Amino acid sequence: MKRASDFRFRHGYLIHQIFIVSLTSLSAIVILTPVVWMINAAMRPIKEVLTYPPRLDPSQLTFEYMASLIENDLYRGYFVNSSIISLSTLAIVIVLGLLAAYGFSRFKMGGGRIMLLGIMALLMLPTVTLIVPYFRLAHLVGLYDTRLGLIVVNSAFILPICIWLLKGYMDAIPVDLEEAAMIDGCTRLQALQRIVVPLAVPGIVGTGTFAFIFAWNEFLLAVTLTDTPDAQPLTIGLAAFFGQFVRDWNSIMALSTITSIPLMIIFVLFQRWVVQGMTSGAVK
Amino acid sequence: MREKGTPPAASSATGEEVTAGKGIESGSVRARRVPWRMMNGYFFVGPAILFFLFVSVFPLLRTLQMSLVDVEAGVPKFVGIRHYTDLVQDPWFWNSLRNVLVFTISSVILHISIGMGLALLLNEEWFNTTLRNFMRGLLILPWVFSTASSGLMWTLLYHPFGLLNYMWVGLLNQEAPIEFLAKPGLAMASVVAVNTWKSYPFYMIIILGGLQAIPAEIYEAAKVDGANAWKRFWHVTLPQLRPILIAISTIDIITTVGHVDLIRMLTRGGPLRSTETVAYYIYKTALLDGNLGYGAAVSTLMLIMLAILIIIYLRVLSQGGDAGETSF
Repeated sequence: MKRASDFRFRHGYLIHQIFIVSLTSLSAIVILTPVVWMINAAMRPIKEVLTYPPRLDPSQLTFEYMASLIENDLYRGYFVNSSIISLSTLAIVIVLGLLAAYGFSRFKMGGGRIMLLGIMALLMLPTVTLIVPYFRLAHLVGLYDTRLGLIVVNSAFILPICIWLLKGYMDAIPVDLEEAAMIDGCTRLQALQRIVVPLAVPGIVGTGTFAFIFAWNEFLLAVTLTDTPDAQPLTIGLAAFFGQFVRDWNSIMALSTITSIPLMIIFVLFQRWVVQGMTSGAVK
Repeated sequence: MREKGTPPAASSATGEEVTAGKGIESGSVRARRVPWRMMNGYFFVGPAILFFLFVSVFPLLRTLQMSLVDVEAGVPKFVGIRHYTDLVQDPWFWNSLRNVLVFTISSVILHISIGMGLALLLNEEWFNTTLRNFMRGLLILPWVFSTASSGLMWTLLYHPFGLLNYMWVGLLNQEAPIEFLAKPGLAMASVVAVNTWKSYPFYMIIILGGLQAIPAEIYEAAKVDGANAWKRFWHVTLPQLRPILIAISTIDIITTVGHVDLIRMLTRGGPLRSTETVAYYIYKTALLDGNLGYGAAVSTLMLIMLAILIIIYLRVLSQGGDAGETSF
């Protein structure tokens, strides 16, 4: 009797596992097709990609398209701009975000709840509703077509979610540790720096990855506030390249692949913390 | 993380008393603590709030103000509500409103149902956790790419000689390739497909987090009561996920309504303006046609509509807070 049910259980378990694994793998294959196809088109003469049936001969693969882009000053410039803009945005939102999250997490302030609700509302503010004043104001204050202008407005759209995620982490860190540190003569700021920040590292990494990806991929603000390749990031480079009359698909896909490589590396390295941050931010 | 909103503040107050008591032996600590207490939380929150006031709130008010002004040849001229009266009679505005409804409703339904399906698969018991985490990583990957890159990837797939048309013409023996982005009815569906591909992972991860938070005992109890898998999903999983589903559909509606880059990369609003959403209409009138005042008026109207949605959402959220569901 026991053995029979045991057998049925194992049998069912096996079928269940095969079903789950194959269905997930199938979905993953379908979902990753566009990515594989982009990389394929970045490494193979386009005549062999856009044809029936597409050729899949691996000996035809070449790095020449990507190499010629890396040698091109214009595209190196886009890459430098994207890096400067994303890293500066990251620095601003992490510093301001940590301070604000600590303040909201540890102090009871008059208007604190209203400020939090306001940040929650800003979190949902669509970028497109502010492009008109940004366009005008950037001209007025001389930040049009500068990297600094983009850094400032990018930060404004990323900071709310950073505060939100970091506050979640800080709420979970016990206050006793800081109190002990302050009894030993630490100031609040030192307590934040020496006790809370080290404990919140997973949260900072997850939030930081989030912020970097957002800033690296930002398009609308860049198209609104920049005009020349001096300040334009890679996303604009991609769109400009694509907009030309004759489409050089090999170079477009090579540029798209190069643009995505930093993101894929960062994602593979920090996936765990990003997922953690996203789930904890939502479950609350 | 839940009911922690108040205790930290309360205990930090007692913390200060303790330090004050200790301060008798070290005067310097006490001297340093007084200004800290005076400035308290505002010192930490201040920089971010000031930043928001200058970079978000002030431009937001400027949007409202600019919607009442016509800026032509650099000279602002007050026109009152003329932009709004024009807007009501503008057939292209209504066209964009209709398009954004179709775009948003279909995107949200697809995001959440695909996200739910894959989250349920990942939440099952896997014989190997590493394989499960690897699969989870692969399934999140589309979220990492920029909208610009995603648009390009899909334009290549949609190409008359691309992979999808190879399947259609080459494998299914159809006569003519499908023009995914050039046929009025089909273009919107093609844009929705790309948006679904790009954004479902975010919702999948959040739903997965929600699924993992459901206590296993409820499922055990349902099993004992003889509920099959479908009934367990309908009567246990869905009600338990309700708060999360409300939250993510609100967030999803708002982000989807705001998409400009996706449409800019794929169709530029065409063919025959059939994929021109309100957000793209703002971008087009304000930045491409240079009609800033009119663009600001459309922005304001969009803000009002979203504000109503956000207020409803925050209401639902803070009501949850009284029941201990959220961190408010």
